Amino acid sequence: MELGFDFIFPQLMAGMSRGMLLFLVAAGLSLIFGVMNILNFAHATFWLLGGYITYSVLTLFGPTAGISPLLVIPATLVAIAVLVLIGFAIERTLVQKMYDRDVPEQLLLTFALVLIIGDVIKLIWGVEDRSVFLGLPPVELFGQFVNLYYFVIIGVGITVFAGLHLFLHKTSFGRIVRAAVHSREMVEALGIRISTIYMVVFGIGVGLAGLAGGVVLPLTPLALGADIDLIIQCFVVVVVGGFGSIIGTFVAALLIGVTYSFAIFLWPDGALAVIFLIVIAILIVRPWGLFGTELRT
Amino acid sequence: MNELNARALARRIVTSPIRLACLAAILVISMAAPVVLSEYWLHVVTEILIFGLFAMSFNLIYGYMGQISFGHAAFFGLGAYATAITIRGELAQTGDIGWGLFLSGILVAPVIAAIAAGAIGWFCVRLTGIYFAILTLSFGELLYYVVFQWYGFTGGDDGIQGLRPPAFILATEAYYFFTLMVVVVASFVMWTITRSPFGYILRAIRENKRRASFLGINVKLYQWVNFVIAGSFAGLAGSLWGPFSRSVAPGLLGWQKSGEAVFAALIGGANYFLGPMLGAGVFTFLHAYVTKFTEYWPLTIGTVILLLVLFRPGGILSFVPDRIWAMPGTAEIKEPKDTQKKRASA
Amino acid sequence: MSDQILSVQGLEKRFGGIHVTQGINFTLAAGEQSAIIGPNGAGKSTFFNLLTGYHHADGGSVTFDGNNITNWAPHRIVKAGISRAFQISNIFSRLSVAENIRTAVHAHQGVAMTFFAAAINLGGKEVDRVLALCGLGDMAHITAGELSQGDKKKLELAIAVASRPSMLLLDEPTAGMSLQETKETMDLVDQLNQDLGISILFTEHDMGVVFNHAKRISLLHRGKLMLTGSPDEVRSNKTVKRIYLGEEA
Repeated sequence: MELGFDFIFPQLMAGMSRGMLLFLVAAGLSLIFGVMNILNFAHATFWLLGGYITYSVLTLFGPTAGISPLLVIPATLVAIAVLVLIGFAIERTLVQKMYDRDVPEQLLLTFALVLIIGDVIKLIWGVEDRSVFLGLPPVELFGQFVNLYYFVIIGVGITVFAGLHLFLHKTSFGRIVRAAVHSREMVEALGIRISTIYMVVFGIGVGLAGLAGGVVLPLTPLALGADIDLIIQCFVVVVVGGFGSIIGTFVAALLIGVTYSFAIFLWPDGALAVIFLIVIAILIVRPWGLFGTELRT
Repeated sequence: MNELNARALARRIVTSPIRLACLAAILVISMAAPVVLSEYWLHVVTEILIFGLFAMSFNLIYGYMGQISFGHAAFFGLGAYATAITIRGELAQTGDIGWGLFLSGILVAPVIAAIAAGAIGWFCVRLTGIYFAILTLSFGELLYYVVFQWYGFTGGDDGIQGLRPPAFILATEAYYFFTLMVVVVASFVMWTITRSPFGYILRAIRENKRRASFLGINVKLYQWVNFVIAGSFAGLAGSLWGPFSRSVAPGLLGWQKSGEAVFAALIGGANYFLGPMLGAGVFTFLHAYVTKFTEYWPLTIGTVILLLVLFRPGGILSFVPDRIWAMPGTAEIKEPKDTQKKRASA
Repeated sequence: MSDQILSVQGLEKRFGGIHVTQGINFTLAAGEQSAIIGPNGAGKSTFFNLLTGYHHADGGSVTFDGNNITNWAPHRIVKAGISRAFQISNIFSRLSVAENIRTAVHAHQGVAMTFFAAAINLGGKEVDRVLALCGLGDMAHITAGELSQGDKKKLELAIAVASRPSMLLLDEPTAGMSLQETKETMDLVDQLNQDLGISILFTEHDMGVVFNHAKRISLLHRGKLMLTGSPDEVRSNKTVKRIYLGEEA
């Protein structure tokens, strides 16, 4: 097989798109864990929920085949809003009670949410796959045809990354959030109610998952159980990049996305194994990831 | 003698005969089960025994050592596949299996699982808490993936079909007794280990890892040994599964299967030796029962887990008065007297 | 040179940019009972952490009982004969008092990796001995986490003693204790030193305890060992007064 440009370029585009999607989902997970030390098993399930909500909103505008691409925007915004509210609610009622508990119990809680929310999705939307067909013409670039939507995803990914970066580094609230990653006590000592921070961060994190769900809808059909596969990949990204580091999540997501794209071509049977070996290696050699701060015990 | 001390001692002396009596009752009931239960429910009980052994092996890491592993099913699954691969040749040729090969199939499973646990555990004991959870999850998924992809050897997604026990124990009732025997013996061995000096070192490590090392304990070594022991018993449980359910599939190694062990420990009570077995029973009965009425089993069990985690993380056995069944080293700590006094006078 | 059980030379430790331990030279004779004093933050706990292998030393050496134990793993150092009681009770909360001690006894007797004998059947005599020695005999079955603060410190000491050390490091053994408890504790420490020949090095803030129970006193300040001397020498030393009381030299 020729490993020339003809091969590399489409794979690279697919990989970057995949990486961006991973970033969009994993960013919220990383943020939540970095600030609150809670590993949200249900994060990909929120992503799925966001996708389904986006789909439902889109159906209000008519049949989903050949729909105007611009409509995806308001539909996604609705999904984000709903998910942020759900995030607030879940944090206040459930997650809040787990801050003083041990890691195993926290994991069990979010695991239970995977099961519950997954079935709620099934209850509301049934078992059929949901997809949206935008009918976008492929773009010709460097002599290759590339899915136009890849550029949309990459654009959204970069925007979200920039937005998060600005938020965390330029706004006062964002700076407080960053401080909370380093030291809960320090933030409390400044007289800021940490419980509010947690609620907002959880809401933002879950909202980001919803955004990712809406964005992915035109690209791949949503199916029940997609969250189970995706959450593992999210863990991989967050571990490799480093919990709590948005840059880390971004870099790791692109790395994993591109690696997987190429791996699946060169070694289809072993592509996922490569990814797992990477995460195992990181955990052994540098558990806090490429960009994370050293282990907080 | 100090009154508190006297009461603590008295409690230990009094609860021993109660515990023995309960155990005896359980044993009698389990012997009588085939008479009382229909074949379907006997089949369910056999499943509970296998799952319970798996869950109890998990609890060596969770309840006794204080770490949560999301990759424990990999050892269960490896055991199941080890047995399946050992016996499938003869089964395919003759349609039956001799005792010799069957027993070697059963015995090879914990050995394979132990080797895997030894290799994986060596890496995992370097981490604790959430990183331990994720690393065990990753190894588990890696092994799941290998089994899934290795179509030529493991049958890939199809798994291995056509498994069955030797003719002598083919009947549901007979296999039930065989499983009961294996599980009782294995449980007894596990129980002995938990009361041994090694078992108490594990508890000490769980309570205060740093102090344990200051006793002269090489903590990583003990954690590794425990990991291997736990993996071996999981493998043994897995060996019973294939002939029981007539097939093995890659899903036996996945993180959701690992999650079931965690659920069982949580439901029954991780602070109790038999807690996970009870949890396995509740889980399996619930599953068999609920799936008759609704397809929304994940919603049901998810809600149960949620409520338990929030309101009763000690599990069902924590309702037992005076914690008769609690294993030593898991007492809930009541506030010490002098702290109480300080609060009263503040 | 008397028989030295501990010899520390040029011990160094940095945390990031902070030089917490600066070239400490220190010796302890076999059977000696001495104290290290110094204001908070002087580096006393860090010094103990370095001796027991909990921190990695950046320079210098620690020789114990003829062996260079610098940067040995903590459990190996304990096996060599050093035991430590911590300032904040560092016990096994959900185990009973007897089980706490028994775990230490098993570890010391080398039976910890035993799988098929019941723990209660091993080491019982030794556990009783330690219980009696440390005044915990009538609390054997109480859950450790439920003990009063004073009793927790007794257990803390008992666990260290159960490892049959040749040298015992005590981190502020009488912190937070009443007069009666302080006397009981230090009587026990003296007993361990005189009757059992255990070399003892302790840190303390209570000067009364220090002057009455230490043969030699060393002053640590900002990671440096400032001086060493008998109680009388230290009592009248101007540097000590300046560091502790802020008096002009």
